[in-house]
Amino acid sequence: MNISPEEAARALGEIEASRTAMRTAIRNYRGHYHLWLWGGIWVAVAMLAEFHGPRIRFRLELAGFATTVLIILRQKAQIRSPGRDRFLGMLAAIIVYANVWPYVLGGPPNSKCGFAYGALVAMFCFVVSGIWFCSYLLWVGLVVSALILVGLFCFPAIFWWWIAIFGGGTLIGTGFYVRFFWR
Amino acid sequence: MDELDAIIHQPARLQIMAALCQLRPSTQVDFTFLKTHLNLTDGNLGAHLLTLEEKGYIAVEKTFVARRPKTFVSATAAGRRAFDTHAAALRAILKSK
Repeated sequence: MNISPEEAARALGEIEASRTAMRTAIRNYRGHYHLWLWGGIWVAVAMLAEFHGPRIRFRLELAGFATTVLIILRQKAQIRSPGRDRFLGMLAAIIVYANVWPYVLGGPPNSKCGFAYGALVAMFCFVVSGIWFCSYLLWVGLVVSALILVGLFCFPAIFWWWIAIFGGGTLIGTGFYVRFFWR
Repeated sequence: MDELDAIIHQPARLQIMAALCQLRPSTQVDFTFLKTHLNLTDGNLGAHLLTLEEKGYIAVEKTFVARRPKTFVSATAAGRRAFDTHAAALRAILKSK
């Protein structure tokens, strides 16, 4: 099969256009919805804890989990990878068990430690997901984990503000970066 | 020198292979998703997918999601190799200009 250089250039242009269209489409299937959702929940939990006490936290987090499952099911209907279900099952098992373990030991000493523990479990899931799938999740997981620990141990007096700005804010900001700039 | 592949070179099939090879290996996309993002009609996409499947370049899996029939498509390892070879041949033609 022989073609002219002009035809080859046109074909390479079509390949690039198709790749760009697919990249744009795939961008909607990355984790930014989850980052926005959980960033928003962290900001809400932190501000409610600061001004009204931490009681509403569990209801917000349950709503967050339900929304996360709905997003995953919707995304799975169009793009899917074999093994993803097992991986999600593994993450769900980690989250359920890790949330039971502290109560076996008598429960977290206060609401700040309880939130920090739950947030570190979530960030552990980010790190594991990052190792397997997208490198940005690994870095977000490590950075936010470090920020949570710094807030808990170095700035306990402003812990909820710290979480709202550096925890929730980092997740929301990363969501925007992933949606609009990450290639 | 890399050879051009007449099956892949057809414009619609070239678009399909470029899109599928953009995904991670073994990741599958829904037929409707592919149709929308490549601006192809049902019949056109279906016919080209059949050609690519017969050649072993793509794998097609028909299944049900929420009781609705769904067709998922992915590039095979042979398809990815053939596409890379074809793209390299196109670049070589441009270089030799």
